[in-house]
Amino acid sequence: MIAEVGHLALCFALALSLILALFPLYGSYKGAAGPVLLARPAALLLFLLTAVSFAALCYAFWINDFTVAYVANNSNSLLPWYYRLTAVWGSHEGSMLLWVLMLSGWTAAVALLSNSLPLILQGRILGVLGFVNVGFYAFVLLMSNPFERTLPFFPVDGRDLNPLLQDFGMIIHPPLLYMGYVGFAVSFAFAIAALLGGRFDANWARWARPWTLAAWLFLTLGIMLGSWWAYYELGWGGWWFWDPVENASLMPWLVGTALIHSLAVTEKRGTFKSWTVLLAIAAFSLSLLGAFLVRSGVLVSVHAFATDPSRGLFLLAFLLVVVGGSLLLYGLRMHAVRSQARYQLFSREVLLWGNNVFLLTATLVVFLGTLYPLFHKELGLGSISIGEPFFNSIFQYLAIPFALLLGLAPWVRWKQQQLQPLLKPLSLWLVAALVLALGVLSMYQTPAANVALLGLLLGAWVTMATIGEIQQKAAQLGGVPGLFKLQASHWGMVLGHLGFAMLVVGIAMTKTFSVEKDVRMKIGDSVELNGYTFLLSEVYALNGPNYGGQAAELEVFQHGEKVTHLHAEKRFYPVTRAVMTEAAVHARLSRDLYVALGEELSGPSWALRVYVKPYVRWIWLGAILMALGGLVSLSDKRYRRKAKTEIGEQGAQAHA
Amino acid sequence: MRKAMFYVPLAAFLALSLFLLSGLFSDPRDHGSALIEKPLPDFSLPDLQQPTRLVTAADLKGEVTLLNVWGLWCPTCNAELGFLTELRQQGIRIVGLYYVQPVDASFGDTFDINTLRVEVQDKLAEQGDPYLLNIVDEKRSLIFDLGVTGAPETFLIDRNGVIRHHHVGDINPQNWPKIQQLYQQLQQGGSDAP
Repeated sequence: MIAEVGHLALCFALALSLILALFPLYGSYKGAAGPVLLARPAALLLFLLTAVSFAALCYAFWINDFTVAYVANNSNSLLPWYYRLTAVWGSHEGSMLLWVLMLSGWTAAVALLSNSLPLILQGRILGVLGFVNVGFYAFVLLMSNPFERTLPFFPVDGRDLNPLLQDFGMIIHPPLLYMGYVGFAVSFAFAIAALLGGRFDANWARWARPWTLAAWLFLTLGIMLGSWWAYYELGWGGWWFWDPVENASLMPWLVGTALIHSLAVTEKRGTFKSWTVLLAIAAFSLSLLGAFLVRSGVLVSVHAFATDPSRGLFLLAFLLVVVGGSLLLYGLRMHAVRSQARYQLFSREVLLWGNNVFLLTATLVVFLGTLYPLFHKELGLGSISIGEPFFNSIFQYLAIPFALLLGLAPWVRWKQQQLQPLLKPLSLWLVAALVLALGVLSMYQTPAANVALLGLLLGAWVTMATIGEIQQKAAQLGGVPGLFKLQASHWGMVLGHLGFAMLVVGIAMTKTFSVEKDVRMKIGDSVELNGYTFLLSEVYALNGPNYGGQAAELEVFQHGEKVTHLHAEKRFYPVTRAVMTEAAVHARLSRDLYVALGEELSGPSWALRVYVKPYVRWIWLGAILMALGGLVSLSDKRYRRKAKTEIGEQGAQAHA
Repeated sequence: MRKAMFYVPLAAFLALSLFLLSGLFSDPRDHGSALIEKPLPDFSLPDLQQPTRLVTAADLKGEVTLLNVWGLWCPTCNAELGFLTELRQQGIRIVGLYYVQPVDASFGDTFDINTLRVEVQDKLAEQGDPYLLNIVDEKRSLIFDLGVTGAPETFLIDRNGVIRHHHVGDINPQNWPKIQQLYQQLQQGGSDAP
């Protein structure tokens, strides 16, 4: 009964999203306020209905209702309650429901927070969002209904949740990631609404910026969590695998990052308009493309959901309408928009243009690397696969000019900048960066490690240039107290850039200095790695709620002193008969100690994989710092200042 | 010219969609049916009732057979026993392939076929016994060769020992008619049936 309530609520939500897609847009063209005013309550009610539907599915999981097919396939009566709830988005149907919950959530948030927007623009944004909603609600209801029953012959017990997903990281990774993907729908709606109206002024960019930042922030955290989860759950110490689905999340992130910077130029200087609109369309299109790749089974991936051509066909048709339609509109409208602003070769505009070029090149690299196997196969050239070396080498080269530009850009003024005044302070900070990088490297006593030096240099350069720029600002604003006058978005930029520096350092150091050893150990054996002694003290049988397996206890010593105690598990989930590794990790800023328990060998002894990974934490801390930068930027008062009435009305006329 | 530039993204996207469309209709995995129409892999495993007797692929030939992968530890397999027993009463030949879970010798767990026999007999006495015989795959070698992804799974094997159908999940009154049709075809058509 409750499941049917959820199903019904979803049907109503589809109807409501149709209303939201049609009436406000109609009203905005007819100049009728009535249909436009309908948009806000419709958006709020849409979210409410979807929340009811989502709650109904949660309830079905909570009470182990195996008459619901989705529950039977993804839960088990032995599963602890918290994993039963997160199993809601553990597979295709439920994760689509989560997707529409978030989409309607963003739609409702736009409806609530768009008071300051001209009414017509508000109606068009919500209308476009309504249109996107229609597609996804129809997809959920027609192609992947999570409320389908197994009656009258229902299974005695469920098939259990995929053990890979029975983990804290998995509880929050998909929601954050989807918040990011779906959040770009708002930037997209802003872009389409502006294309419809044919006007892209500073106000428009200022409205679009916080929404883009928020989506980007969620996506950053979502990707970071996924990477962290893979690191300790998959048991091979890697943190990024260039898997098609990871790539599908990286592409909108790269484009989103470019979009944030491009929006800044559009807001401050009124130029880069065609770039900005194209990026806003691209960010959301790549999110949709990602959804298509993951859910249609076109590519092979550990993440892929069950293959189903009819689902893929629906999504492809939707992709054609949304992306094709918006790009057509772009072609029809955008050529008429011209930027007036003039700028010199050495100016912040040009450097930010460079930022866009590098980020888009990176996107293209990921895009080609991910889809090339598909092109190759469909052209009849046979199956191939593209792996880590391709991505790693290209990203390594892209990172160098990108980081150099990144350090420089905040120093450079809009419009034009004389090189002379910058030379002295910049070279000072460059020397500081050199000293810092070489200093850190000398602690590792292997000057042969060129990659690490390069990474450290770039990281130190970005850090120093960023700190130097703040120091310069402080000097201009009259000392340290003057720094409080800096806008929040400026501090957000500083944090974001420092986060990037941390990420680069983390990647370079981990790639270069990680050591690993595969060993066979008996109880009481010990192994040396990078100055650490790992002593296997105990192995015993595990007895979890829905799993068995073995756990190993290790003591770690350095210079004869105990550093820590490690607990590694190898779990066996009987229902799905899957073996899972729970790696033991001892984390410090400067290094991780990582032990994964492997197979039991005769003896009795065990295969263990032991790693020492310097600076690996910096990768995720860097990502968190970037996200924090996004959050601080969001708090900028400019985004919340109500547009003055006359500007609002002027805007309203312009958009009409 | 400048105007045409703004249509470049659209053109690129449309070209991409063509690839995506054709990609939809070719399976990147293409291995689901790898064993269909292939003979049963060679094996030589003990019979649960008489562990001294080794069952081989040749023993399954001669009649159309359902090879059912199951284990006591698997609740769905246990729920399936009743319906399979009905099928046996209708004259369907069902051979069990017992899936032995890995055991941990260092903790005193040992695999003992005699203990297992008693437990299996108790269970079958209670739920019904659909099996002509039970093959015990202690090392899971045949299970591996068959590409079993979970229990219960059932393979339909023709008179010549060729695998004709692979069913994942339990057999129940709803999905049985489809398998039954295949079964009867194989039985009537003899070894030449498609």
